[in-house]
Amino acid sequence: MGMATSFLPVWIVMFPMVMTLVIYYVEQHNERMRNALAVATSVVTFLSVLSLYPYIMAGNIVEYSMFQLLPNLEISFRVDILSFSLALLSSFVWMLVSIYSIDYMCKEHGCNRYYPVLIITLASCMGIFLAGDLFTLFVFFELMSLISYVLVVHEESLEALRAGYKYLIMTIIGGLALFFGIIITFELGGSVSLGGPALITVPSSLAFFAFISFLIGFGMKAGMFPLHVWLPDAHPVAPSPASALLSGIMLKTGAYGLLRVIFHIFTPGMLQDAGWMIILAVVAIITILLGSAVAITQDDLKRRLAYSSVGQMGYILLGMSILTERAIIGNIFHIFSHAFMKSTLFLAAGAIILKTGKRSIRELGGIGRQMPFTMFAFTLAALSMIGIPPLSGFLSKWTLSLGAMDAGLPYFVLVLLVSSLLNGLYYLPIIIAAFFGAEEGHEHGLVKISEAPYKMLIPIAILAVSCLLFGLLPTNLPFDLSRVAADYLLRGGF
Amino acid sequence: MNITEILLRLHQNSYYFFAIILFVIGFHTMLTHNNLIKKVIGMNIMDTAIFLFFVSIGYIRGGRAPILVPGADYLYVNPLPSALILTGIVVAVSITAYALSLIVKLYEHYGTVDAEEIMRLRGGETL
Amino acid sequence: MNATHHLSALAIVLPLVCAFLMPLFDRWRRGWCTPAALGALGFSFAASAAMAWQVMTAGPFYYRMGNWPPPWGIELYVDYLAVFTALTMTGVSLVILVYATKDLLHELKPGLLGWYYTLYLLLIASMVGMALTNDIFNLFVFVEICAIAACGIISIKATKECLEAAFKYLVLSALGSGCLLLAIALLYMVTGHLNFTFISQALPEAMRLYPNNILAALALLLVGMGVKAALFPLHVWLPDAHSSAPSPSSAVLSGLVIKIYAVALLKLLYQVFPPGIFEATPVLTILLWMSTMAIIAGSMFAIVQEDIKKMLAYSSVAQIGYVFMGFAIVDPSALTGGILHVFNHAMMKAMLFLAAGAFIYCTGVRRLSDLKGIGHTMPIPAAAFTIGALAMVGIPLTNGFISKWYLVLGALHGGQPVFASVILLSSLLNGVYYLPIIVNAFFGEPQGRVAEPRPLPRQMQVPLVVLGVGCLLFGLFPSLILGLASRASQALLGL
Repeated sequence: MGMATSFLPVWIVMFPMVMTLVIYYVEQHNERMRNALAVATSVVTFLSVLSLYPYIMAGNIVEYSMFQLLPNLEISFRVDILSFSLALLSSFVWMLVSIYSIDYMCKEHGCNRYYPVLIITLASCMGIFLAGDLFTLFVFFELMSLISYVLVVHEESLEALRAGYKYLIMTIIGGLALFFGIIITFELGGSVSLGGPALITVPSSLAFFAFISFLIGFGMKAGMFPLHVWLPDAHPVAPSPASALLSGIMLKTGAYGLLRVIFHIFTPGMLQDAGWMIILAVVAIITILLGSAVAITQDDLKRRLAYSSVGQMGYILLGMSILTERAIIGNIFHIFSHAFMKSTLFLAAGAIILKTGKRSIRELGGIGRQMPFTMFAFTLAALSMIGIPPLSGFLSKWTLSLGAMDAGLPYFVLVLLVSSLLNGLYYLPIIIAAFFGAEEGHEHGLVKISEAPYKMLIPIAILAVSCLLFGLLPTNLPFDLSRVAADYLLRGGF
Repeated sequence: MNITEILLRLHQNSYYFFAIILFVIGFHTMLTHNNLIKKVIGMNIMDTAIFLFFVSIGYIRGGRAPILVPGADYLYVNPLPSALILTGIVVAVSITAYALSLIVKLYEHYGTVDAEEIMRLRGGETL
Repeated sequence: MNATHHLSALAIVLPLVCAFLMPLFDRWRRGWCTPAALGALGFSFAASAAMAWQVMTAGPFYYRMGNWPPPWGIELYVDYLAVFTALTMTGVSLVILVYATKDLLHELKPGLLGWYYTLYLLLIASMVGMALTNDIFNLFVFVEICAIAACGIISIKATKECLEAAFKYLVLSALGSGCLLLAIALLYMVTGHLNFTFISQALPEAMRLYPNNILAALALLLVGMGVKAALFPLHVWLPDAHSSAPSPSSAVLSGLVIKIYAVALLKLLYQVFPPGIFEATPVLTILLWMSTMAIIAGSMFAIVQEDIKKMLAYSSVAQIGYVFMGFAIVDPSALTGGILHVFNHAMMKAMLFLAAGAFIYCTGVRRLSDLKGIGHTMPIPAAAFTIGALAMVGIPLTNGFISKWYLVLGALHGGQPVFASVILLSSLLNGVYYLPIIVNAFFGEPQGRVAEPRPLPRQMQVPLVVLGVGCLLFGLFPSLILGLASRASQALLGL
């Protein structure tokens, strides 16, 4: 492993950060250049992550320590298979979303704010996934959370500002909880490194506080009940590409953090023996059922998608609480498949909103006939959400269920089934109405609604096809990565 | 300890005793009186009480002024507290002057030296 | 005794002398005032830096004024804490003074600038003196100079509010000084010394003979310094005084002056009183709970404020609580955190007050809700305010995070996790009142005077930039100052 490779994580994080400044400078003069630079940055970032593939798959771990802030507290990077998988996923979706943004945002105000923020959020997201210790993770986590506030309130409407305020307060609470958890870890373990042996191996009341703090801090981001309250408000008010990223990628940073905490700070065995995992399992089940059930009652399309995200994050949390190998595979794979599905859904919803200006599901009758391509992608992703084979959502649920059976917890499977049923209840009516419902607006004269521009359709198409492909093919990259990552987490090797 | 003993002790330490009483009087005046001038007077009483206390630390019964004459060997009082208190008096005087000038200015603005009244004129917070 | 040793005295004396030259300059050579004031402070700062270098490389040293040996002469003790404090005081006040040169032309009546410099230099000299002195009566003299000068830089802007606030401050400050002097008298009574070193040697024996005297002295000290440092519930004078004063005065009062009393109390508690006193009396527990109340109540009051400077003033009430909490948890990490917070908060709060001053200078707007959209029209002050606010909340990579890290670590390490959670709760409250201001500043259309502010002079921009960069710099590279703070705490705890 050469010097260049070990420096690559820093490059992946720093390059978009520097480009943010470049974009900020360029956009004062040239808007087209700005868009091109934003896309180019995300493409280069994706390719940089991808270039790590051979090293990582060969079983290497890339480590790089940048500088020391305080004794035993440093900014460092460390790429193992789990980091790599999620960084790859994020940069891929980010690339597609930035391409999509070009046409979506061209009619919006404040683009000069949007693009730099989009890119710096990418940088901080990469920072979270590639962090080599809990402190670095925390720094980038805070950065991402605070900066994505700008995305949430982009519209600057009263509703957006109110949702943004809720988001901000929850972010601070989460950040403080994380801070508390990290500092207890530091006090008990003397370090916060993620690479070494587990830092807290003996249950104590302080360790329990640390666990709860981590649960609050990361769970807040992941939309865990009862800390999900900000999510259904904040995600829908953002511009659609930003919603896709918020729901598709940024929620996953919480799940990622929890995985790291469970496997590197504590040990899974200790957490299970102490009975603390039950807390996670219970909130996960509540999150699943609550998110799915409330989604049914929502009329706003994006709000319904946001509640659906709450439910889906519950699956990921549930997978974590079961801790058998197949459950962890299912958990990581669901991070992938949910990212693809939810991004597809939000981007498709964005295309519909852009073209029709309608957000209410009741008004979307017949939209499938006017925008067949968009709605087809939407349908594919929605079916995948419900868990219809052979889509990727099915595969993740199947693996999760197998994992639950391995652990001898069949009623978890029941929860998954009930939630799938609920998913069907809120996704199918949209699809049925879109393709078979009566069109509205004819009385005002015919308004011909066409498909969105191709720069928006291509990302949607790629994501939707991914949902199909990664369920259809028995061996595919995300599933392989999930398998290896689960193996790495559980056994500490390849 | 019977009553005569207590009285005897009070007599022996009467400087301290009265200094503390004065201190409390000054303290009380400063905090409870609304008249700004009275507050300043209270402040001065308090300061004077402390000076009394401080100087009496150095006082030795029967001691003479600490002017040393070669060859003479007699008891003299500790000069250090007195010297220090000179500084203290200077400070107290300057603070008094400053406080009084502030009161003059306040009177120009409000037409009263009553804290309650000023508070009422300002409408709200306590002085 | 080498040349650096003399600097310790000169760092105090030169600003003092300069202070009294200011009125003369003001009369005959008006153009000299500003350069002379800046030069005097700059010298003090350089001297502090040289002393810091000396102390870090060769260890603490004593300096005898006029070469009179103690216990007769006055002695300066230049140790880690002293140079740390002196550096903080001179450095931050120098930056504030640069800002003041322009801002005061606008805030004061013409012809008062020279007098303001007099008061300002007196104030800084007395604070450096308090930091360095090793003599308890000398400390009292500096406390008094500091008190008068501090009131002076409020009342120099002769508006109704300022006069009233200055009077309130003066009365309570005099009360505090009285308590302090009585405490000194009680200590002198039982030990016969005024020098810190000698008192601390004599105290264990005196403690056995006259415990009541020492307890009374301790209580008086706590009240005296508590009033002056605005430790809740003795903070009543602070919000009015700090909000009505001219902005540079507010910055120096909130950023530095209340801290110096906390440091003085720290010196007395740890260097003069015998360690046994902490076991014999619950003084530290009292301090701990007072600081807890200060942190919570200060933040609560700050939330409901509408005036930007008043909000910042209440925030100072909370932040001084952090400092005292660090002092009262007997743990090296917490003490380091408390000492470090003296410096960090000085930078943050000075920057916040200067940014608020810039808003007021350019637009005349003080109400928080009227500052909508100010981020678009005044980017530099708004950015500085943002950095300061984030540092207040304790976002990582700002200097506020570092002091919070040490405080919480110390609370956990000292076996008092309750206080760790108090600090976290207060960070949340800080977020509740600081972040909406930032959001309001950057999202929303500027209206009225906010839309068309007058330009901000360069002398006022530079200090904001310097402090903003400083907050980030010391957040990224805390080791620049951390060595001094942690050695100071170890020296105080006798490790």
